[in-house]
Amino acid sequence: MSELLVVQDLTVTFPTTRGPVDVVRGVSFAVGRDETVGIVGESGSGKSMTSLAIMGLLPKGATTRGSIRLNGTELLGRPDRELRRLRGDQMSMIFQDPLSSLNPYYTVGLQIEEMYRAHRGGTRKAAREVAIRALGHVGLPEPERRVDYYPHQFSGGQRQRVMIAMALVCEPALLIADEPTTALDVTVQAQILRLLAGLQRESGTGLVFITHDLAVISSIATRVLVMRRGEQVEYGTAEQIFAEPEHEYTRMLLESIPRIDDSLDDPPHGSLIGSPDDEVIL
Amino acid sequence: MTLLRAESLTKRFVSRGPLGARAEFTAVDQVSFEVQLGETLAVVGESGSGKSTTARMIAKLMDPTAGTLEFDGEDVTHAKGAALARFRANVQVVFQDPFSSLNPRHTVERILMAPLVYQGIAPKGSRREHAKELMERVGLNPDHSLRYPAQFSGGQAQRIGIARALAVNPKLVICDEAVSALDVSVQAQVIELLRRLQRESGFSYVFIAHDLAVVRQIAHRVAVMSKGRIVEIGPARQVFDDPQDEYTRTLLAAIPRIDPEWDRRRRERS
Amino acid sequence: MTRYVIGRLAGVVVILFLVCLFTFVLFFTLQPDPAVMICGKTCTPERIDQIRDVLGLNQPFLTQFFGFLGGIFAGRDYGEGANLVHCAAPCLGYSFQTNQSVMDMVVERLPVSATVAIGAAVLWLIVGIAAGLLSAVKEGTWWDRTAMGLALGGSSIPNYVLALALQYVLVVQLQVLPFPQAVAFSDDPVVWFQSYLMPWIVLATGYACLYARLTRANVIDTLAENFMRTARSKGLSPALTMRRHALRPALTPIATIFGMDFAALLGGALITETVFGLNGVGKMAADSIAKNDQPVIMAVTLLAAFFVVVGNLVVDLVYTRLDPRVRITTP
Repeated sequence: MSELLVVQDLTVTFPTTRGPVDVVRGVSFAVGRDETVGIVGESGSGKSMTSLAIMGLLPKGATTRGSIRLNGTELLGRPDRELRRLRGDQMSMIFQDPLSSLNPYYTVGLQIEEMYRAHRGGTRKAAREVAIRALGHVGLPEPERRVDYYPHQFSGGQRQRVMIAMALVCEPALLIADEPTTALDVTVQAQILRLLAGLQRESGTGLVFITHDLAVISSIATRVLVMRRGEQVEYGTAEQIFAEPEHEYTRMLLESIPRIDDSLDDPPHGSLIGSPDDEVIL
Repeated sequence: MTLLRAESLTKRFVSRGPLGARAEFTAVDQVSFEVQLGETLAVVGESGSGKSTTARMIAKLMDPTAGTLEFDGEDVTHAKGAALARFRANVQVVFQDPFSSLNPRHTVERILMAPLVYQGIAPKGSRREHAKELMERVGLNPDHSLRYPAQFSGGQAQRIGIARALAVNPKLVICDEAVSALDVSVQAQVIELLRRLQRESGFSYVFIAHDLAVVRQIAHRVAVMSKGRIVEIGPARQVFDDPQDEYTRTLLAAIPRIDPEWDRRRRERS
Repeated sequence: MTRYVIGRLAGVVVILFLVCLFTFVLFFTLQPDPAVMICGKTCTPERIDQIRDVLGLNQPFLTQFFGFLGGIFAGRDYGEGANLVHCAAPCLGYSFQTNQSVMDMVVERLPVSATVAIGAAVLWLIVGIAAGLLSAVKEGTWWDRTAMGLALGGSSIPNYVLALALQYVLVVQLQVLPFPQAVAFSDDPVVWFQSYLMPWIVLATGYACLYARLTRANVIDTLAENFMRTARSKGLSPALTMRRHALRPALTPIATIFGMDFAALLGGALITETVFGLNGVGKMAADSIAKNDQPVIMAVTLLAAFFVVVGNLVVDLVYTRLDPRVRITTP
């Protein structure tokens, strides 16, 4: 399997009033073509910052070290003008909250069209046809009509379908999904996961799936990166991570997941659980 | 002993459009259930199922449009004044977001003493000592009693919320998505805490949640809600292992699972 | 949508009627006898009776009130026989001071107030929004801090102080502008422009400062929205991202505030017009209040109410166009 994305020793530093802070420290992983890699971690683990660093969308003032290569080309250090041509075309991203991630003032059609035209040009009319096809492709009924809908006219699951349609409209080599199902109901989550997996099989897009939910990642990822407080805890195949975790933290995380198959009568899985003072106190 | 009985609880919302065009929406439709003393009833459902509206009605934070609510053998549907105060002394709520439900300008000590002051309860020792005991019971360091909520992590702040609920020694604690916002490792700790507190004190929980896996860890009985109605209610084991309703089955099937084979291999190794 | 507009228009009529009634009651009960005031120095009791008779001041309250209302819609007659004066609809009565038709006075002065309002509005929109935008984009820089400091100070200068200061500096000291004169645009565009420039600046200053701060706050909020991150992740150019995705959400709330401010100004800029001696509705209001000229006060009150109420309606209708989320769908 040839690697599509190779991240090596990535460090992201934020300036703060108390001096620079590394929000991501020495993270390395790779995503093959046609592969799904999961990045899991709890809040503050740096998983979202890693994805923003790949996209070149880090907040102002953040600095990066290490290397991010997409299709063999180094992304770090390239001017925004060049990265802009890649964003949306070679790599695109979907986010946790589809409602706030879509601009409420414009129809979803226009928001897909502008992205397509930014990279492929062409007339509005041609782009509109592409948008309609993209919306139909992600399973939205009546795409000819829905293309003129505004984001608030869709349900949560439909909005995430719109986001996915938009992200894939230029057939990017890499798709980064940052907690794409966290805000959704569990039945809708299952549908979106199926959709993503299906689209990925069909198009051969490399997928980086970021989540806090290990159970979600276990069903979709071939390789998994576990992060904690900006650092890489463990990286390996899904089977290695879930069946033979090396690291204590990974084991603790796995034991913490409430299992639908465990019941109240089973002994509590508290043996691995630390005291509450493990948590950070400011 | 039946602690809480909800009989045909209904909540309708009416919204008015321009020129008084009325739109009616039934959020909760004739919901009935009982909670026994010492047990945990979980109410689960997806967004828009009416579970939160139900929670608000049984916490008496919202009046039902129809139906009755009995607590401890007393009709409290329209309770006011002294009867309502008595109800509040026995029924407490833990909310989803601990930070927005704790006054950021009050110390933990003050937050934990407030319910006693409102209810006019004088504990055995001083109220200050009582607050420290509460902190210890929920696994917080009592030496931190003069800190403010912002100085605690999310899980710790939720422990403060739980301690505040327990301050008046209630018979029923309503947890409205109380662990939903927490990281999974913290969530497991807080669930364990909730279970321990119930073992120690013997009160009841009504546990409102959207996450069935979490519910499985804590519920004795489960009510599944969809579109304002209870579609299935029964002992947890029955609802989870032998669901009768089609919607319950869909809900259970949608839960992402880790390959049990991987789980087994990992547990054998450790 | 049509039903909504009809409903709102009905509301406008009701509000204007209530404003009419309220002002009428106020004058009916509070003011000194208008007949005595009209009569002036060479007054006789007979003359006062005659005036009362002609103006219908002897009639009961409701008759007078509906006489006034009727005048607006159908016109009305004053006096009888040889003394009969017909006042065509829309009739707002005659000034007690000058005997001029109040409607004519309004028609004559409204263009002046409108010129003041429109010119000032153009000025404050351009300056306020541009300064706010620049501040938002350069948030935290020296430009931002200076501009916002000035805006805070500028919005707290009273108009009359600013007007007098400007006049002193520009007209008296530097002599770069003539003293404002009542010149029609067609007669001498240059003097016309010079005469209106100071009123525009004075009126626009406070609003520009306010709008700069509003714009800055709205743009900064919008830039932090998730959809801005999406727009960047799509590879759109910074110009398109800013113009399409940031500006419309940021400026829509400002459009509604602008509608209200502008409508209120059309009802007359009292202080500015008075200081610069512009014969607009605002000055008319000031004069009529000073001289207790009841029909004129009624007219300016109604006019102001009319602009505010209609402005409000227009703002709401425009808002449904600007923000798709509040678009009204009739079931």
